[in-house]
Amino acid sequence: MSSRRGRITDEEINELISKLQALLPESSRRRTASRSSASKLLKETCGYIKSLHQEVDDLSDRLSELMSTLDDASPQAEIIRSLLR
Amino acid sequence: MQGPSTMSFRQAFLENLLVSLQLQQEHTSKHHSSSLGAAMSLHERKLAVKSSADVAMAAARGAGARWTRAILAPAPSACKVQRCRRIVIRCRGRKRSLPRSARARDGGTSSGGEVARRLVRRRTMALREVIPGGRDAAVDEATLLREAMDYVVHLRAQVDVLRQVSEAVQRFGSSILQ
Repeated sequence: MSSRRGRITDEEINELISKLQALLPESSRRRTASRSSASKLLKETCGYIKSLHQEVDDLSDRLSELMSTLDDASPQAEIIRSLLR
Repeated sequence: MQGPSTMSFRQAFLENLLVSLQLQQEHTSKHHSSSLGAAMSLHERKLAVKSSADVAMAAARGAGARWTRAILAPAPSACKVQRCRRIVIRCRGRKRSLPRSARARDGGTSSGGEVARRLVRRRTMALREVIPGGRDAAVDEATLLREAMDYVVHLRAQVDVLRQVSEAVQRFGSSILQ
């Protein structure tokens, strides 16, 4: 689906901006005015993506920790260890 | 972006992720019991999990977005030169916009619109930094916004699925990853 080449209209940008605003969490939507500026929205989006990245980071931490505590308890590891004794 | 496409995305993402984690788990237990070869440090494991999650997300998304390509096929080091150039240009641009108070005293020789445009430009560049592939000069503003929307939706799903997997592993133990 290739859009027409050439200048992007202001309308197109505004449409994308309002769609983007609809995606941001409820709390930030209330804070920004209904006619929020483009720059505010860009800032919100940036901040939101960063916070999501942080969540992924924290969850990866947690998951890798869980996986490492499993290693010792893993039945496969125990079987292999007993074979090597 | 919503509805059935999200569900099948989550499914594909979950499958990709579990496969990666299973492989990682196998690798770890093999090395643990053999005492040959170094076991991965916790930090390395975390990076492996994070990388698996990103690759799983990008692969599950399929075609139709730029950010997936940036994750699955990162730019070669030859682009480092381009990146350095862009950073220098960005810094020069920032220096130019610094004496804002001086301009205000001027009594409006630079319009409010110009200041706003500069701010939008700066914010746009910041957004490019956090979206995979956003730094590419070929990505225009409209594309960047569309990429941002797509990326946000899938990032949210990534967070949800990672949380679900963590909880499942916590509750049911290693049987999930075997």
